[in-house]
Amino acid sequence: MNNHPILSATDLNKSFDSLQVVRGVTFNMEKGEFVSIVGKSGSGKTTLLSLLSGLERPSGGRITLDGTEITGSSENELALFRRETVGFIFQSFQLIPTLSAWENVALPLFPVKMLAEKRRKGALELLRQMKMEHRADHRPGALSGGEKQRVAIARALVNSPKIVFADEPTGNLDSETGVAIMDILKRLHRENGMTMLMVTHDLDLAGSADRIIRMQDGEVVS
Amino acid sequence: MNLRYLTKELRYRKRRTLTATLSLAVGIAILITINALSMAYNEAARVPLKEIGADITVQRAGNVPEDLTGPVFACSAVTIQKDEVEQIRKLSGIQGFGQALLVWVFDADRFTIVLGLDPDNPVGPGILRAHMTEGRFLEKGQAQALVEASYAKNFGIQTGDSVTVAGKTYPVAGIVDASRAAKIAVAHIYLPIAEVQKMAASSKQVQAVSPFGPEDANILFIKAKPGQIDALADSIKGILGGKASVATPASFLKRLGNLFALSDKFTLVTSLIAIIVTVLIVLKTMAGNLTERAGEIGILKAVGWSNSNVVGQLVGESVLQCFLGGILGLVLSLLAAWALGFMEVNIPIPWEMSPTPHFLPGGGDPIFKTLTLPVHISWRLALFAITLSMLIGGVAGGGLSRHISRIKPSEVLRHE
Repeated sequence: MNNHPILSATDLNKSFDSLQVVRGVTFNMEKGEFVSIVGKSGSGKTTLLSLLSGLERPSGGRITLDGTEITGSSENELALFRRETVGFIFQSFQLIPTLSAWENVALPLFPVKMLAEKRRKGALELLRQMKMEHRADHRPGALSGGEKQRVAIARALVNSPKIVFADEPTGNLDSETGVAIMDILKRLHRENGMTMLMVTHDLDLAGSADRIIRMQDGEVVS
Repeated sequence: MNLRYLTKELRYRKRRTLTATLSLAVGIAILITINALSMAYNEAARVPLKEIGADITVQRAGNVPEDLTGPVFACSAVTIQKDEVEQIRKLSGIQGFGQALLVWVFDADRFTIVLGLDPDNPVGPGILRAHMTEGRFLEKGQAQALVEASYAKNFGIQTGDSVTVAGKTYPVAGIVDASRAAKIAVAHIYLPIAEVQKMAASSKQVQAVSPFGPEDANILFIKAKPGQIDALADSIKGILGGKASVATPASFLKRLGNLFALSDKFTLVTSLIAIIVTVLIVLKTMAGNLTERAGEIGILKAVGWSNSNVVGQLVGESVLQCFLGGILGLVLSLLAAWALGFMEVNIPIPWEMSPTPHFLPGGGDPIFKTLTLPVHISWRLALFAITLSMLIGGVAGGGLSRHISRIKPSEVLRHE
């Protein structure tokens, strides 16, 4: 771990009409760090993750990610930035139902000019790491929840991201499968030094992180 | 655009793909079939003239002969003078030109329709060369006769016999079966035109009704350069005056009385309606599909697809979908064309072009050229339809996806 923040947010605000969802959040994250954001439903933690990852534009404040200030970037600049810098893991997996497991993993690379075989090999290698190579040609409809989330994790890693954002990654899984998924995320952090920001309402899961940020009513309370 | 993703979307979203593809296919099939039908009627209308090697025939109406003895002219085909023939021949837009002379000969023992023709000219009755059943065709400068097969059978005439027409005897060079060819400019006996010109010029009955010079004619056959038929017809009417009878494919088309034959506008309007309805259905189907896929588009954007990446992918899908619809529409229209190809069409031959006197038994009966409707789909029409399909796909897909690609990924994912 070094001392250069990979992610920095300063006085971050977000409002939807008159509803202020995120209020004056200032926050730094170091490279290789695993941070959990916890809070009750409606506390603004998912909105904060969307702001920090460039999915959402803040109403006020600044965000610097991997040395680039993304606050003033256009939609297309943000898309390119996400493709090159960020990986996402969603609560409900968000796989494309018509594509096979390996194609879902390769999805972020489809717009990238590269040899199709290289793209496929990269996706298959990540599925192997997730112990999912035997399901590479299956579509999401034929996969269990845990398998889907492992495919989603592989997809989050396919572009070699600087940081992975995970939004309730075990929220749609039973406890046993949830533990297995958390083991994968912890292993990625521990063995690969992956920087990870995870949103969860489960304090036990949050305990796996290096640091826990608590949110309440849109503010960081600790 | 990723082809793998594109084909899988079409393959695994069967209901959506089939709805859009079939809607377009039906519209394209209607468009192609209507146009093919219209072209078929146009082509059918050309047949009576095509069979005589021409695009235009020209006659002039005159008085009814008073004395039906010896050679006379039908009142529908009186003299076209040499200088008028030359004026017409010099008109621009003419590719080929022929002339003939039709005479009714009332001999004491029989009535004969005689046609004088130029044996070496394929524009006009010279085309009958291809319909010889025995003997040989006429040769220029030789005073010989060809006899029509049914006439020869009635009178027991064979090649090598001789026939007497208006007091002059001609050796029979061969027998021709014109019934398999043209319905116009047919006769019982065919002679070189110079022989019939001499016969007409020396006939008091002809001269009494329509003064005739030895180099005049009474039927002209014209092959026009592409697109020149109507202009030529107008010019000819201008030269010959109000009694000119100028037959063109358009005049035959009018006689068909069919909606497709009557108006190119009908075809155009029907085609436009088919396309507009199709486009609306395709737009509605695609718009519904894209709304259903808003979540998927949000995912694409979240994982780093730009607006143009999304638009490119969706346009690719709609173009391919519409291309498949176009191909299917083409196949449907080929089936329709095959079925319509069994339809028979009767093209009425105008009474004035009938060589038989109306006062003889059966002479007043209407004559039809009956043929199966020549429905076929030209490669140009097929190419146009496929291109149009893809264009519809491109425009519909482009318009709709441009709108939906602006969706913010966070908006979609927030509702998951």
